[in-house]
Amino acid sequence: MEARIKQVMGDIFNIDVNSINDDSSPDNIQNWDSLKHMNLIVALEEEFEIEFTDEEIDNSMSYALIVNMLQNK
Amino acid sequence: MKYSEIIKLNNTLETHLNGQEYKVIILSNIMIHQAKEVCEYLLRVESVNARVSMGEYDNIVQDSAKIQDVSAVLIFWEVCNFIDGFHYKINVLSDDEFQDIIAKIKSEIDLVFDNLKNIPLVLINEFSALIFDQFSLCKNRLNQITEELNAYLIATVGINTRIICINKVLSKLSIDSSIDLRYFYSSKTLYSINFYRKYFEYIKPIFLTSIGKIKKALIFDCDNTLWRGVLGEDGFDNIYMYQEIQYLALKLSQQGVIIGLCSKNNLKDVDDVLTDHPDMVLREDSITIKKVNWNNKVSNLKAIAKDLNIGLDSIVFIDDSSFEVELVKNELPEVTVFQVPEKEYKYGLMMRELGNLFYNPSETKEDIQKLQIYKEQLKRNKDKDSKGSIKDYLVSLGIVLTVHVDDGSQVSRISQMTQKTNQFNLTTKRYTESEIARLINDKSYMVIAINVHDKYGDSGLTGVAIINNVDSKIDTLLLSCRILGRNIEYKFMDIIVDLAKSRKLKVLSSEYIKTNKNQQVVDFYEKCGFDKISELDGNSKYNLQVCNYKNQHIAYIRVNNGS
Repeated sequence: MEARIKQVMGDIFNIDVNSINDDSSPDNIQNWDSLKHMNLIVALEEEFEIEFTDEEIDNSMSYALIVNMLQNK
Repeated sequence: MKYSEIIKLNNTLETHLNGQEYKVIILSNIMIHQAKEVCEYLLRVESVNARVSMGEYDNIVQDSAKIQDVSAVLIFWEVCNFIDGFHYKINVLSDDEFQDIIAKIKSEIDLVFDNLKNIPLVLINEFSALIFDQFSLCKNRLNQITEELNAYLIATVGINTRIICINKVLSKLSIDSSIDLRYFYSSKTLYSINFYRKYFEYIKPIFLTSIGKIKKALIFDCDNTLWRGVLGEDGFDNIYMYQEIQYLALKLSQQGVIIGLCSKNNLKDVDDVLTDHPDMVLREDSITIKKVNWNNKVSNLKAIAKDLNIGLDSIVFIDDSSFEVELVKNELPEVTVFQVPEKEYKYGLMMRELGNLFYNPSETKEDIQKLQIYKEQLKRNKDKDSKGSIKDYLVSLGIVLTVHVDDGSQVSRISQMTQKTNQFNLTTKRYTESEIARLINDKSYMVIAINVHDKYGDSGLTGVAIINNVDSKIDTLLLSCRILGRNIEYKFMDIIVDLAKSRKLKVLSSEYIKTNKNQQVVDFYEKCGFDKISELDGNSKYNLQVCNYKNQHIAYIRVNNGS
């Protein structure tokens, strides 16, 4: 699952998959603004065929948090 | 395809782009940023060097005033955000307030279309209230305002503008899967990724047509494609016509689409059906080309492209056999191939869907004439095979050229020629109708068009040259391929140089801009006696001292002056 999340993030932010780690967040990924965050959510929902709640959307603000959230779905 | 894959492939395609840039700007009064990659991707896979950018949020009027140097503008103007919360406030507004808003939007429409009148292509969605009005069976103010504004759009738009029936996309997908309201109240996004994928698939042919990437021919297999049954086995009396398919094809042929047959059958058997079968809809006169023999379909389709002088990428082919479909897909990837669906009731819908590939903004008289013209050309080719010397043959044609200079009645055909002509086209500049109309009225340009006529019929308006009188330069020179092989191009150059002389031009400059398709004219200017003055990346520039030009004296072509 981690690999698929990284792949989606790599595609959406147009960055190298290997550069993504637990700390990856809007603070260190320049592309990750509020519009790109919407794109990321839509893409993750497609990838895992799930729908995020509003709260989950707001809380998914780093790679580690996204992994954590998807593990609990 | 998943959204993340679209983004990834779009980024990859971006690094391989070449050719002229096709800039699209999307204006909107809602947030629509996810449209960008989907639109870019769908155009880039068709080898269009597309760059899509977005206007400012809710700034359609001001943005439209700033736009220049773009190929196309697309407008999403959503009723729900005419004013903040319009979709829920509308039914409690006073009549005066309601009328004020209608008047405001109408005046904004006027401003926007005036600002965009010189943009080659403008697309605007018709106003729709479907999303917020889906539960109400009664007519209400949302319906009233959309109907009134849509009528106003139709009455107002210029010839550069196409109105998109967005409700058809919403219906096809369902409203539920077209919208994603999660960010609507915070960020004014409205549509889902699903919607964008389907929407841009719908409108893609309009973009492609505007840059000359257009499908021209629809080629059918016969058995189990035009009719149910196998003619050679079941026999004339036991085949059942797919009349819906044939009627839809007949309509396309009336729009100027070439209808052809490519079938493994005995020619005589098929001809009997075409002539005598009582239920057949497509008869000899609506079928332009037939390759009915036992050769393989790949070589037959190649021969069709060659005979008609069109590219394989302008051909759409329908067959029922998986084997043939896969063979053609593998061997001729440029050809667009459809397979007759296994479930017969789906065939009519598939035929309607592929009909959209032949998107035709305005049917000109030439479109309707064109099938006749292709037929005449095939007959000429046959004569060419059977007669003696080529020279005798050319003399026997009795070719007459009629020259039109700055003739406003030919705007739509001239524009269409610049859009569609790829092979004999020196600079491949595409012009919309509104641009041609402007050049015709501009005294610093001369727009020359020629009409070709011979004993077999009228080929219509088939050559265009645009001269910039101020720079003394040939901006555009093109001829339809169906009239080549008769030295008309050299006679046309005589005409151009004569007109240049009459405007007192001393040195006429010109250029050849290389594309994937215009290799055949790489040395045309040199053949006409122009001096090459520079060459870079396959593009060349030329000069001609007008007084030194040697007239080609092609006696068997007569020239008439039209208007």
